[in-house]
Amino acid sequence: MEEKELVQLGQKGDEEAFAVLVRKYRIKVFNLAYSLTRNQNVADDLAQEAFIKAFFALSKFNLKSEFGTWLYRITVNHVKDYLRKKGRMRRIILENIKEISFIQEDETMRKEREHAEEQRRKLVHKAIQALPEKYQIILSLRDIQGFSYGEIAKILKIFPGTVDSRLHRARKMLRKKLAPFLIQKGGSYEM
Amino acid sequence: MKCKKIEKLLLRSFDDLLKDEEKENLESHLRSCLLCQAKRKEYETILGLLRKEEDSEPNPYFLERIQTKIKEREKDAVWTSVKQWSIRAVPISLLLVLLLAMVIILFSPPKSQELSQSEVLLLRNLNPLQETTTLLEEEKVENKNMMLIFTAMEEKNDIRRYFP
Repeated sequence: MEEKELVQLGQKGDEEAFAVLVRKYRIKVFNLAYSLTRNQNVADDLAQEAFIKAFFALSKFNLKSEFGTWLYRITVNHVKDYLRKKGRMRRIILENIKEISFIQEDETMRKEREHAEEQRRKLVHKAIQALPEKYQIILSLRDIQGFSYGEIAKILKIFPGTVDSRLHRARKMLRKKLAPFLIQKGGSYEM
Repeated sequence: MKCKKIEKLLLRSFDDLLKDEEKENLESHLRSCLLCQAKRKEYETILGLLRKEEDSEPNPYFLERIQTKIKEREKDAVWTSVKQWSIRAVPISLLLVLLLAMVIILFSPPKSQELSQSEVLLLRNLNPLQETTTLLEEEKVENKNMMLIFTAMEEKNDIRRYFP
């Protein structure tokens, strides 16, 4: 069954049709929430709430845009509300987590390498969380979730040109934040 | 080309948005600029870490938990709407009562002014002093007293007078 038909059935109150839509989008919606919160349970709750909001607002959805875009917009707005309420937009001082960025010189084992990479990833996410909200969201949508410029423009209801400039600024800010941890090692840059 | 412009091209190159000419410009600049080479390495490291991340799964029974919550909210929504209506009903009913009272006051027919006994008698073309004359002319004290009593009661009750 096509997505449009599922949405139309969902609008008529068909629970099974809505369940199909949940199964289809649950991973994407959850990971979108997770990329902005970095907390499994919080992201799970937020993703659920986004689907519940979508269910009750489904009758207002006009089918002109993609259901997924509409759902991601609901998710982003819901996560934004959560972050504002929880005051997660505060500046995180990266110096406090400096120790996790040290690279181990005798790093040869796969597990150690993975562990180190995970630590570096955590550092990058901490740096993202220290950015203003709109830059966190654009980085999450483009560089973590892999949405195209066009999709991001639709989700955030902004012009594609704004996506380009905002993303450019966000990446620059992120690099600046991480600059103290980026060290040149053997001709290549590592953290 | 300046490094600032090159950085813009460099960032767009990570999204495969560069035209052939822009690609060439970028590459030729990078070959000669160590600073921009370093920037490219840094961006590659950062974006590589972000993009390599694998998708995670939400907690188990994700759908079932959503369905349960939806049913609970639907029940709550009924009560909420009842409560909302009852809250709205109080001022609305008060307003209606007020309006009704105003309508009654404004559109009720004016009360007919009650005429005094003397006026009634005058309208009937009778002498209003007739009673007084009768009273004064009465010779019997008992009758006079009875007439006075009935006249005094006249103010409160519309009763027939005592005429012996």
